[in-house]
Amino acid sequence: MRKKFHSILLIAVTAVTLFGLSAYSLLKAPETYSLSERRTLAQAPKMTAETLESGRFMSDFETYTLDQFPMRDTFRRLKAEASRHLFHQKDNHGLYLEQGYVSKLEYPMNAAKVERNAKKLRQIYHSLLADSSCTLYQAVIPDKNAFLAPLGDYPLMDYAHFTQTWTGYLDYAQPIDLSDTLFLGSFFRTDQHWRQDALYPVANRLAEAMGIELDLTFTEQLLDAPFYGAYCGQAALNLKPDQLYYLTNDVLDSCTVTGYGTGKAKERPMYDMEKAHGRDPYEMFLCGSDPLVVIENPNAETDKELVVFRDSFASTLVPLLVPGYAKITMVDLRYMNSALLGSLVDFQEQDVLFLYSTLVLNNTISQ
Amino acid sequence: MLFSSIPFLYYFLPAVILLYLIAPKGLKNAVLLAFSLLFYAWGEKKLVLLFAFAILFGWVTGLILERVRGSRWAKPLLFLSVAADLGLLGYFKYSDFFLSSVNGALGLALPLTGVALPIGISFYTFQLLSYKIDVYRGSVPAQKNPVDFGAYVSMFPQLIAGPIVRYADIAEQLAHRSHTLERIASGIRRFLIGLGKKVLFANTFGALCAQFRATTEPSVLFYWLYAVSFLLQIYFDFSGYSDMAIGLGRLFGFDFMENFQHPYISASITEFWRRWHISLGSWFRDYVYIPLGGNRRGKSRQLLNILVVWMLTGLWHGAAWNFVLWGLFYAVLLTTEKLWTKQWLDQHKAVGHIYVLFTVMLGFVLFNADSLPQAASDIAGLFAFGRLPLLSQEALYCLRSFGVTLLLGMVGATPLPALLAKRMAEHPKTKTVVQMVEPFFWAGILLLSTAYLVDGSFNPFLYFRF
Repeated sequence: MRKKFHSILLIAVTAVTLFGLSAYSLLKAPETYSLSERRTLAQAPKMTAETLESGRFMSDFETYTLDQFPMRDTFRRLKAEASRHLFHQKDNHGLYLEQGYVSKLEYPMNAAKVERNAKKLRQIYHSLLADSSCTLYQAVIPDKNAFLAPLGDYPLMDYAHFTQTWTGYLDYAQPIDLSDTLFLGSFFRTDQHWRQDALYPVANRLAEAMGIELDLTFTEQLLDAPFYGAYCGQAALNLKPDQLYYLTNDVLDSCTVTGYGTGKAKERPMYDMEKAHGRDPYEMFLCGSDPLVVIENPNAETDKELVVFRDSFASTLVPLLVPGYAKITMVDLRYMNSALLGSLVDFQEQDVLFLYSTLVLNNTISQ
Repeated sequence: MLFSSIPFLYYFLPAVILLYLIAPKGLKNAVLLAFSLLFYAWGEKKLVLLFAFAILFGWVTGLILERVRGSRWAKPLLFLSVAADLGLLGYFKYSDFFLSSVNGALGLALPLTGVALPIGISFYTFQLLSYKIDVYRGSVPAQKNPVDFGAYVSMFPQLIAGPIVRYADIAEQLAHRSHTLERIASGIRRFLIGLGKKVLFANTFGALCAQFRATTEPSVLFYWLYAVSFLLQIYFDFSGYSDMAIGLGRLFGFDFMENFQHPYISASITEFWRRWHISLGSWFRDYVYIPLGGNRRGKSRQLLNILVVWMLTGLWHGAAWNFVLWGLFYAVLLTTEKLWTKQWLDQHKAVGHIYVLFTVMLGFVLFNADSLPQAASDIAGLFAFGRLPLLSQEALYCLRSFGVTLLLGMVGATPLPALLAKRMAEHPKTKTVVQMVEPFFWAGILLLSTAYLVDGSFNPFLYFRF
């Protein structure tokens, strides 16, 4: 009798779990977007003779069932917690948590990609800059791993070698060392990016090297919403949000910012408060990714101009450089056909800064 | 469709269970057949027609073989039907291997067929062969009902990865089987053991193996980590799949033979092969080794028989030279044991355990290589002291990151967890608690495995294409 009850209990508990989740899967309305993973979710595939024959229906259906599984985020969190606490795995899909900071393993150095990225910039140098009167600078932003990985014995790139290699490739530009201007606290805990309110030393170092004077008097404004960085959803762990501060002053308020991402010039705010409350609050800085952004400072005490070849890290840094220039042009080659660059930017006597994070240099900086 | 996938667990399985439950007794096999063909078609699309033809051909041949049994037509007919089955297997699995080997040996450029290997063909071909041979021998009657026969050959729990179920073992259950609460509970338990082994362990070891393959920093430690991980991956992968098959079989009232019995605790290779992929080993013993004469025709003939069986075993696992070599490797080990070392190993169990783990690990490194040069390089890497760095940053990190899972896997590959669970379930002090907690433990395993699958973890299946 006891054995029978035990069997009934086992069958009942597992059947309720299996059939319950199955019914929930079938009845649940499909979602279109995952806020935590910041991506669109697969929708039910169409069953046609062609998709059945090619097998696409089956593979798409599997993706659909994974993406639309009930309580997907809860299950992802269960996996992440089990992987961390039960199996003591140090990372989950390459993301690791150490001292309250999340980062993604960036290891080892991808020498081929770094070289390819350098070749791309060299092409631009030869076609647009070599014969100009521009003054060229370069700086490498060490990513969060450089400060976090050693704290937990995670694999760590040789950042000194990385920077030396990159600097060697860009021998036409004067290197500016930023490594001692940053520390772990310069970065968000839940995002790969650096905090704007921690960038005064970086701005000072750049200003000093580029011979400009900066008045770094800003008001630090706290965003009135929690900032869950990109790693927060990806890591699927229970993490506290960051606080996001942005810097304002009269000079920045008077600037005009023009983006060319849509193909036409479009004026936009320095800090987009709509995006600050959107899917990725980091996009509030200069409205996020854009191939070409121009900031004009009517109150500048100089007519100097700056062109920054950049990635997303520059979106937070460049506002700090604004007081030192009349015009700053930001070029993101990841979203631009570099052959068009000559028709968009007239290189004459500007300062030109190649400013890239090791995260991007170790992958790809251009289309 | 893999058992360890969301479409199977939460769409296919509930549907087949529900329809099976509500179907009247006379239609239960039809439900199994229909769902098994759907299961097969999901992965193989049009090739389900080839599969259906093979089933039909097997059924008709069985009926004719029974009718002509004892006559002069019986042997030629058996020969022809076996040749037809092997011909199909040969065409789909071995034609390109044969052609590329001929091209390589003779410097020719014969075009390859490029034909894809149908899922499970090695498993269902062997089931069909054993059925026909058994009918020919008169050890089982031919199945008269095509639906029952189709359900036997195509039964989805064992269709794509075994165990290789003999018709004689389930002939009675095809007609009459019981579905008791205890059997169903035991089937659920077994299925979830397998699911956990596959999703929580095998896939994690697979991820470590993949990380090894992707590394740009080879080191001796990394080669050893890889070899040990793959040793555990293939065990948890395949035995997990067999557990799931046996568990599903029980849910539907069938008793499939055990396929694994803790092979890594063996103290000799002879013992290892009595514990590893038992259904394949016994199939080769009964349908190849013994018919060739087994050990009845003298030592040298026995050794030749061993060589033939193990070469075929290697080839069964894959159409590539590393599989042939893998089979021959075992032929040599088994021959050595038979002639010289078995007795000594029986007396020195500790040495035997180390010897088995080491040789089996080397064997699986050979087994898992994409080519012979890669196999040679992987094996050399294990002993490349001086030529490669002993350690690398990435290998040390993997050791730290996967260390607990590797340890759990090593313990899990022994009978220890089952013994511990049994003892706790029988001990007067823990018995009641275990009985109350156990159902929730298994539901937890289902949920945790689901979480790993939903998270899109690494989920290959090593025996899927055999």
